[in-house]
Amino acid sequence: MTGHDDIDMLAAEYVLGTLEVDERAEAAQRRKHDSNLDAQILAWEARLAPLCNEIQDVAPGPDLLERIERRIAVLETEKDASESSTTQLLGLHRRLRFWRWSTAFASAAALALAIMLVVPFDSTPPQPPFVAVFSQNDQQPAFMLAVDLDNRRLNVQPVTAEPLPDRTYQLWIKSAELGPDPRSVGVLNDDLSLDADALRDYDPDLLKQATFGISIEPPGGSPTGQPTGPAIHGYLYPTDQRGRSQHL
Amino acid sequence: MSDNPQPSSTHCGDTSPATPSPNDHLRNLLQLVAQSDRPAFAQLYEATSAKLYGTVLRILKERSRTDDVIQDVYVTIWQKAAQFKASRASPITWMVAIARHSAIDELRRQSRAPHESEDVLSQISADETGAHEHIEHEQDARQLHACLEELEANHQNMVRLAYLDGWSRADLAAYFEQPVNTVKTWLHRALKQLKGCLAS
Repeated sequence: MTGHDDIDMLAAEYVLGTLEVDERAEAAQRRKHDSNLDAQILAWEARLAPLCNEIQDVAPGPDLLERIERRIAVLETEKDASESSTTQLLGLHRRLRFWRWSTAFASAAALALAIMLVVPFDSTPPQPPFVAVFSQNDQQPAFMLAVDLDNRRLNVQPVTAEPLPDRTYQLWIKSAELGPDPRSVGVLNDDLSLDADALRDYDPDLLKQATFGISIEPPGGSPTGQPTGPAIHGYLYPTDQRGRSQHL
Repeated sequence: MSDNPQPSSTHCGDTSPATPSPNDHLRNLLQLVAQSDRPAFAQLYEATSAKLYGTVLRILKERSRTDDVIQDVYVTIWQKAAQFKASRASPITWMVAIARHSAIDELRRQSRAPHESEDVLSQISADETGAHEHIEHEQDARQLHACLEELEANHQNMVRLAYLDGWSRADLAAYFEQPVNTVKTWLHRALKQLKGCLAS
C-alpha cells in the first residue's frame, strides 16, 4: 500500500466513522495542518453525502433553538468582556487619537460631524463633553455619541449608519456596577436620534467608565431585554486635552 | 410527501456549484452567520435542523443525547461559519459533516447498549426505498446508489451501517461474525471500489 493509498483510506474511514478512537482523534488533529489529508476528507464527505438523504428528517423540540441562542449569547458576552480588556481600551485610545488628529486625512465628513457635536455643548463649559465612537470592523464610524456629563444629556449622531428597513437600532449601556448584562438606554427613533434625557438616571462617574453598545434589533427594540442582533461598541472619551490627560 | 418543498433546501451531496437557489440560500446565510448575524442564524437553523437532527438521532437513537449534540453542533456552526469555504464543500454537506462527527464522537465516548435487534438490515433497506423519492432528481445520489449496488451485499451493508448508524469496526465485527481485521479489509476494499466506480 502506498502512502497516498494510506491517506486516502484514513480519510475514507474517518468520514465513515470506523477509525478506532485514538486513530480518529489523531486524524482530526492532523487534518488541521495536513492540507492533503483535509482535501481527501472533504472529497470523501462529498462522495458519501448523498447517503444522508436516506435518513428521515426529524424536527427537533421547539425549545432547542432558544437553548442554542442562549449559549451563543453567553459566548458572545464572554468574548466582548475579554475584548474590553486593557488592550482593547488602549486600542480604542489610539483610535480616538487617530480620529482626533488625523481625521482630516481620513474623512472630512467625520471631522465635520465631530465639530458639530462638540459645538453645542461647548457653549456651556466647565466640564468638556465626552464622545464615544461606534465603529464596525475598525472601519468608518457608524455612530457617535456625545454626552454632557454635568447635565446628563446625550446626543446620538449617525455617521455612516443608515435607517434599516424593518429593523431598529438600540443603544445599550454596560458597566460592572450595573451587573453582568447590558441595560437598554433606548431604541433609536426613525431618524436615528434618541431622547436627550435617556441617561439622566446614571451617575456621571459610572457613565465615564461604561461601555456603550448599539445593536440591530426588530422594530420596537429587543424582545428579550438583551441585545439579540449584531452589536458595535464604544467608550466615552473626553474631547479636550484636560479631560484626556485625566483619562489616560 | 413527494411535493414537500422543504427537503430540497437541505439535500445532501448537492455539490454542483451550478445548482441554483437552495444551496445558494444556505451559503448566503452562512456568510451572514460568519458576521455574527443572529436572525440569519435562526433562518439557517430553521432550514437545516430537521436534517441534522435526523442524522444525529439515527446514530445516537436517544432524543436527550441528540438534543445535547445538536446544541454543540449549532454552536460550532456559529463559531466556524467564517471557516466555511464555498469553493470546497456544499453548505449542507459541511454542516452534516459537523453533525455526524459530533454524533460519532459522542457515541464512542459512551457507547449505547449493544445492537440487540436482528432487523437492522431490513430497517436500512426500508429507509432506502423511502429515500428514492427525495433524491431521484439528483445525479450525485443516483450515481452513489448505483455504485453501492455494485458492491457485495455485506460490503454495502457495512458502509451503510457505519455511515448512517455510526457503527464501529468492533460493532461490525460482532454483527458479521468476523475478526476486526477482516472488517477493516472489507471496508477498504468496499471504499476503493466505490471510489473507482464514482470516478468512472
